[in-house]
Amino acid sequence: MSEFGHFIDLVLVKATPLIFAALGGVVCERAGILNIALEGQLTVGAFTGVAVSYGTGNPILGLVAGVVAGALVGLLLGVAATRFGVDQIVAGTGINLLALGGAAFGLTVVFGQPGASSEVRALGLRGEDVLIACAFLGAVLLHLALYRTPWGLRTRASGENPRAVRSAGVDPRNVRLMATLLGGALAGLGGVYLSLGELDLYSDNMTSGRGFIALAAVIFGRWTPLGATGAALGFGALAALQFVLQRTGIPSELMQALPYLAALAALTGIAGRARAPQADGVPYVE
Amino acid sequence: MLARGNVGLVHQHFELVDRLRVWENVVLGREPKRGPQLDRAAARAEVERLSHEYGLAVDPEAAVESLPVGIAQRVELLRELARDPAVLILDEPTAVLAPTEIDALFATVRALAARGTAVLIITHKLQEVVAHTSRVTVMRAGSVVARFDTEKTDVDQIARAMVGGELPALAARLETVPKPALALRGVSGGENSLAVRDASFEVRGGEIVGVAGVEGNGQSALADAIAGVIPYSGAIELEGMALAAENPADRIALGIRAIPQDRRREALVLPWSIVENVALGDQRRPPLRKGATIDRKAARNLADRIVQRFDVRTPSLDASVDSLSGGNQQKVVVGRALSNDPKFLLVYQPTRGIDVGAAALVQSRLIEARNAGVAVLLISFELDEILALSDRVIVMFRGAIVGTFERGAIDRARIGALMAGAA
Repeated sequence: MSEFGHFIDLVLVKATPLIFAALGGVVCERAGILNIALEGQLTVGAFTGVAVSYGTGNPILGLVAGVVAGALVGLLLGVAATRFGVDQIVAGTGINLLALGGAAFGLTVVFGQPGASSEVRALGLRGEDVLIACAFLGAVLLHLALYRTPWGLRTRASGENPRAVRSAGVDPRNVRLMATLLGGALAGLGGVYLSLGELDLYSDNMTSGRGFIALAAVIFGRWTPLGATGAALGFGALAALQFVLQRTGIPSELMQALPYLAALAALTGIAGRARAPQADGVPYVE
Repeated sequence: MLARGNVGLVHQHFELVDRLRVWENVVLGREPKRGPQLDRAAARAEVERLSHEYGLAVDPEAAVESLPVGIAQRVELLRELARDPAVLILDEPTAVLAPTEIDALFATVRALAARGTAVLIITHKLQEVVAHTSRVTVMRAGSVVARFDTEKTDVDQIARAMVGGELPALAARLETVPKPALALRGVSGGENSLAVRDASFEVRGGEIVGVAGVEGNGQSALADAIAGVIPYSGAIELEGMALAAENPADRIALGIRAIPQDRRREALVLPWSIVENVALGDQRRPPLRKGATIDRKAARNLADRIVQRFDVRTPSLDASVDSLSGGNQQKVVVGRALSNDPKFLLVYQPTRGIDVGAAALVQSRLIEARNAGVAVLLISFELDEILALSDRVIVMFRGAIVGTFERGAIDRARIGALMAGAA
């Protein structure tokens, strides 16, 4: 394969977990839940996938378990936010720390060693390709669902003005709960991609801030599935460039900071005005 | 709110999703489907049918945020009517409407009633009650205190029932010798559709100038520019001296005081006591400032004077203002603004949401301040309040001043027409 072909491959590999997580972020934020726990959902998805593949010898079961675990973590945030009115930033940060610690603890329990798991049966090259395709398919499906279905209308309305949704006879708390479930599942799949697609093991903090880069992609992509996917691809390209530019002496830390700078630019209006959903992160209480 | 059955509720502050289209708002919660998809054509058709059936013209494709309030209210009405309610409740439906829009609304409501819908209107505008209803129920402090057949009652009787006694008469207007106080010269500021544009007028000491207009026609920007809390172009002068750019603290020091439109958000710190709240704004100057600290005794005395003079009903000066009723909160705000000899008083919706007794007291104190030589600018969405208090009335529409009327030459119908945008 040509040099360029390798680069494109690398971009896709780096972008795919970001796309899954960013889609999870979009669906939550459009419903009004600021899902700062994407990082935790990636972590839990990645670890659970590896642990279940290790226990059953079946990476497909690992994938399913990782998705379910991510969804449950999403649900945890959703319940805290909609039933107990907990501040979403505080709850999300707590979940991130819990996920990281929980996975580290899980490593010693399941694999009997800290730092990293042993190698497990993974999805393989073909499985990785399928997941990459799924990321893009998911973006298109989520776009259609958000803009073309009754579910999408209710979700978008809940993120803008949950009281209006209530007036229309729908409980916005349930709409938001549904969104966190779906968002967590998507981010969990992103985690599975990391541990069972790209690699075949879990290591401590292997998500290394991808959840936050995905949040930046949500903003840069204007809170739309296709926009966030585009942004995640761009950030994936930045990550791939790090490998290419390693020899040129450009500090990799600078490249790692670029996604956040891009998100700041989007928020401050330098790169065109970004309008967050009006009730994004605003608790709805009756 | 639990299951609504077929009761429709039109909220005072509309519960619409601003960034969605009209048809999306109307069908939200009961969307027509075609397969798994939302059937847009059917949704639009339904909105058009309802719009035609009830005579509520509105473009189904328009984004709600682009609509003027009068039209946005139609969207809220359409959303409720789409559910074919047996009972329709309207909460203060005319608060944000121009007089012509009010007429159109009541025409719609009457047509609904004629078709057999029970319509319940919650309002404090007694003229509307008398003009448009069949029966009246009066509530005070959460209880029903009187019921009337509209035919057999009048505004005075309803008002007495609301107050629980005779309504105190307004303070008499005394002759004053107006002297220059505040002058605006080509003031523009604020954002987009809510901006004030090229406003020039004077408010002299010893007179009340009323600003008539429908909410959202630049009044907020006008008030914010005068208070010095937003940037503006043009000049604002106090007694011939141009004021420096936005700085509310300087303006307070010069004797420009304000009664903001939202007392809970802009005027009071709710968990604080009456003493602390009345000290707010004057804390930098004597008599409240003593060295580097606040003279708590002076603040107490000030609070005590305000409570006495304004009849604030409170168990103690140390009670948090959050524990007071809206009327008593407003008395604290008005009392604070009138203490310390203001030269100019900016008054924004001084009687919004307070009972008629407290409203009469607040209005009387404003007239007394005017009698004592204070220049008062009264911004209100209640035309009756403007006409009762003002020496001069200016009319605002889309940010511009479109008419000026001296007290002797008030033309109510003309003012109403100008408020709605008549040339």
